[in-house]
Amino acid sequence: MVLDMTTDATLASHLQELRRGTVVVASLTVLRTPGYGYSLLETLSDAGFEVEANTLYPLLRRLESQGLLTSAWNTDEARPRKFYTTTEQGNAVAEALRIEWARLDDAIGDLSTDPISTPGSDK
Amino acid sequence: MTTTLVDRYVYTALRRVPEQQRADIDRELRASIDDAVDARVEAGESREAAIERTLLELGDPDRLADSYAGRRNVLIGPELYGVWRRLMVTLFSTVLPLVVVAVAVVELFDDDVTVGSVIAAIVTTTITVSVHMAFWTTGVFAVIERTGLGQAELKRAWTLDDLPKYEPGALSRIDFGATLVWPVLVIAALVLQQFTFTDEPLLDPANWSFWWPALIVLIALKCVWAVWVYRLGRWTRPVAVANAALSVVTAGLMIYLLAADRFFNPAFTGFDGADVDLEGWVSLATIVAVALGALYDIVDVARKAELARKGRPARIPGTGNTYSVS
Repeated sequence: MVLDMTTDATLASHLQELRRGTVVVASLTVLRTPGYGYSLLETLSDAGFEVEANTLYPLLRRLESQGLLTSAWNTDEARPRKFYTTTEQGNAVAEALRIEWARLDDAIGDLSTDPISTPGSDK
Repeated sequence: MTTTLVDRYVYTALRRVPEQQRADIDRELRASIDDAVDARVEAGESREAAIERTLLELGDPDRLADSYAGRRNVLIGPELYGVWRRLMVTLFSTVLPLVVVAVAVVELFDDDVTVGSVIAAIVTTTITVSVHMAFWTTGVFAVIERTGLGQAELKRAWTLDDLPKYEPGALSRIDFGATLVWPVLVIAALVLQQFTFTDEPLLDPANWSFWWPALIVLIALKCVWAVWVYRLGRWTRPVAVANAALSVVTAGLMIYLLAADRFFNPAFTGFDGADVDLEGWVSLATIVAVALGALYDIVDVARKAELARKGRPARIPGTGNTYSVS
């Protein structure tokens, strides 16, 4: 498939629009087992989520202030790290978001497979 | 003590983060940077290069700080922009012209008024008032955006009552205002040039016995005509005929005076000193302008009346478009 430069830029902006919000679901899901900033960044990028460090770190603090994550400093190791864990409320929110994601996926699938009968389009 | 690159990055980012969060973010950010650097070193990069790449990936520390602080890096956000824009349009389309006209009128009655002093007053007032209105309005909105004060009142929910009415009519309120202001300005100029502006009046003072008062009456009649059209709300044949009659008489009077060399003051010295017959050329140019202006006015109103009579789609004031309205 050949895409020219304009289509590339347009596609990039639409992709970004579509991906916005998926990082929240992914983070809340991954952090059911406690993790720290850099480990989460690695896990997400290995799983195929394109997320930047400068977006993720502030996002974790925002989710914490919303009560969806809790945090605790682990000073057992040489490098102290702040570990985040999804709260019960965070789990509930993640579950709701995943259900919505699945619903949208179904809906999009229906749109692209069914021949849609638009009212008034029949000959 | 030497500050490392990481120190400088962290200090810069923390500068703009709320104080009570600084210690915690400092610790966490350093740990994250160290983790990333270690990972790069393990992958075979030199420590120095790894630090540089890591910090470059984190990007502008000011933006990172905005992100930590939950600040939007805008002066006036989309929530308030609409209100701000509407207020600016109102200020610039109503307050600015009013202030400028008021200052210009006050300047006209100054003892040593000249054309230059009036223009200077208009220009400086326009600039000063514009800058002040734009600056203070934007400043207040920026404060509201930062503090959130009074946002609930400003972001009043939009209702159907906010839709303009777009009354179909012959003249919009603005057209009507313009039609009234023009004759008033002409009459003011006619009277004032006799007493101010120059030592000798530009127009022949002998005509005050009949022609100038007659011209003033005709111009005043144009105002009466505008009020009639505005109240009537339609372009009709009588409206067009009255307009044509008024235009022909007014233009005819001026052209007669110009052609008979009785328009300009013979004692006015402004035309002297030119190699050519300046007064003659100015008279000719004025005759042409008056004739064309009157002709355009007559045809324009007649055309509108004819379109209205045939029930053709007409321009609805305020929309910039034509619609069929019964």
